[in-house]
Amino acid sequence: MSMGRTRRTVWAIPTLLALVTLCGLLAALAGEGGIWWPLSWAALAVPCACSAYYLVRGLLPPERP
Amino acid sequence: MTARQLRWWSWIHKWSSLICTIFALLLCLTGLPLIFHEELGPNPAIDEVAEPGVRASVDKMIAEALAERPGEVVPYLFYDRDKPMVKVPRAASMTSAPDTFFYKVFDIRTGKALSVDQPNEGFLYIMLRLHTDLFAGIKGMLFLGGMGLLLTLSIVSGMVLYGPFARRLRFGEIRKRHSNRLRWLDLHNLLGIITLAWFGVVMLTGVINTLAGPIELMWQSNQLLEMAAQNRGQAQSDRRAPVDLVLANVRAAVPGMTVTTLAFPGSPFSTPTHYAAFLTGDTPLTSRILKPAIIDAASGEVVAVRDMPWYATALFVSQPLHFGDYGGLPLKIIWAMLDIVTIIILISGLYLWLVKWRSGRVRREAPGTISAEAAR
Repeated sequence: MSMGRTRRTVWAIPTLLALVTLCGLLAALAGEGGIWWPLSWAALAVPCACSAYYLVRGLLPPERP
Repeated sequence: MTARQLRWWSWIHKWSSLICTIFALLLCLTGLPLIFHEELGPNPAIDEVAEPGVRASVDKMIAEALAERPGEVVPYLFYDRDKPMVKVPRAASMTSAPDTFFYKVFDIRTGKALSVDQPNEGFLYIMLRLHTDLFAGIKGMLFLGGMGLLLTLSIVSGMVLYGPFARRLRFGEIRKRHSNRLRWLDLHNLLGIITLAWFGVVMLTGVINTLAGPIELMWQSNQLLEMAAQNRGQAQSDRRAPVDLVLANVRAAVPGMTVTTLAFPGSPFSTPTHYAAFLTGDTPLTSRILKPAIIDAASGEVVAVRDMPWYATALFVSQPLHFGDYGGLPLKIIWAMLDIVTIIILISGLYLWLVKWRSGRVRREAPGTISAEAAR
């Protein structure tokens, strides 16, 4: 456990995730053809995959030291 | 953040969440099948035709629809967004509520009637009503909007609390050794911050959607009357131009756009002496933004075409961002997964509160016996 992280380190990943999510939400709105839809799927898969990963990790029993 | 501020934000997070959790859960659960309404909804077999551009007479379809239910009227035509179908509702009067409509669906190219379940009954319809207005009309809709605002407050306060919480932990760290409460506290915070942007957007656009009723009323009482007033000088009569002529005139006046809805004279979305047609474009964004055209009922001539006011456009743009139906099936699957994560966040929040509440009671009953980890 790292004590006393700075505001920047606390918010770096959440901010990045929020930006990626917003890009994904807007990409599919921008256009149907070409790269737009796959771009949107790829971007929005990031919060999805992160949620699934941490959920599974959180639900697994703790490792024995 | 001072300890006092932290307590305040905790209090806001607790109460804003507690009040709306049941409704938020209802919205998430009913919203889940609604994401796939196109896949789960009525899906009639559409014939292949040699010339897909051909249009059958709409007047004949209306006559056929009305012949089945004498004495009723047709207040609207609803064109399907994706399939070559038109829904012809029949109602007791021009101003009847849409849930009393009885629909007949036609293939717009052949004019043949299609056998489709009524869109205002069945599982999806119940989910839709529970999701949008709890079967209580505009009051239910605004109530859910209020719950959405509380949920916004809960998200904002949750975000504020994440700051001091995360100073003690690395991103993604979940304390599993000590207790289930700590494990779920960490998961609740982590999943909450990961899905924050998505949930925030879906909820705010949902709140905007609950304003659809007032926005429609505003448009009807301002813009619609203003547009219709442009041919006030003409003699009024009971004569009605054929619907086919009206549609042809509209399509000629607004090339490149598609008629999605036609409101007949006397319906809430037209005037007693005008038809109103609502057109859309063909990109994901413009296919959501309606452009109204007002047509003189007697002559069938287009009187006025103009864009919707900004508040209506804001509503239309917010709709896809709420529904998640604007990027194909993969986007819908992502939407469903994030919805399930949200359900987990809501239930874990409720669980955390219950555990804390119970340990609070234990503490009050037997002071000094609680473990350090139960006191956050």
